[in-house]
Amino acid sequence: MTALDCGEVKIDAEADIAMARRAVREVALKVGFGATEVARIVTAASELGRNVYKYAHTGVMHWRVLESGIGAGIELRFEDNGPGIPDINDALREGFTTGGGLGMGLPGAKRLMDEMNIESQPGNGTKVVVRKWRRH
Amino acid sequence: MSEPISVVKVRNVLLVSMPADPDDSTVAALQDRTLEAMSKYDARALVLDLSKVEILDSYFARMVSETAQMVSLMGGDTIIAGMQPALAVTATELGVTLGRTRTAMTVERALEVAGQPRGSAAKLL
Repeated sequence: MTALDCGEVKIDAEADIAMARRAVREVALKVGFGATEVARIVTAASELGRNVYKYAHTGVMHWRVLESGIGAGIELRFEDNGPGIPDINDALREGFTTGGGLGMGLPGAKRLMDEMNIESQPGNGTKVVVRKWRRH
Repeated sequence: MSEPISVVKVRNVLLVSMPADPDDSTVAALQDRTLEAMSKYDARALVLDLSKVEILDSYFARMVSETAQMVSLMGGDTIIAGMQPALAVTATELGVTLGRTRTAMTVERALEVAGQPRGSAAKLL
């Protein structure tokens, strides 16, 4: 797996969630995803970006364009130094929320993308990586 | 800032159009702008035009759903119009439901059924 291109968007304010979405849309279109796939990827980015802002107030989204045996792909990595997730299984359950939302952020983003990996410990921040592949 | 919300009165119906990718403050303004205009124009129904919208995340969906509920409490009916296929797919996969809020393929069709009682829309299809 090789990274062809990469970049980042800082998430320090509510408006940065929309900035992150716009950056992701541009990259996803460049990779060649179709309209529905682009909408899935941008929606997942919005949910994960909002989680960063809501729970940690500040963080960063790194994006990468990937190339592997199965095709081209996009990877989004959301990192923050916020309070972390005490129980990742709880956080992935439908309707579970500690932030007053609908509790569909993490499970929804997981459904919209091909791969999701979460690393988090209470007090040590959260790292969420999602990927979507465009098959040859 | 994203593009603003457009609010127009068409006969006794309020037509509110959302931009392609509204930021959170624009989405938050949807409720206030809509409820104020409903009251000011004494509108019978709200047609919420989502035809330009490219992304409907859980926050945006909650605001749409709450706005429809508030309009209902004020005695008005809401019709959500023009949702693009990609938006319908992703919103469903995300888990978004809009309850019993009426929907229409286009703004034109929504304006036709606006103000008519529930159930009478079927004969227009």
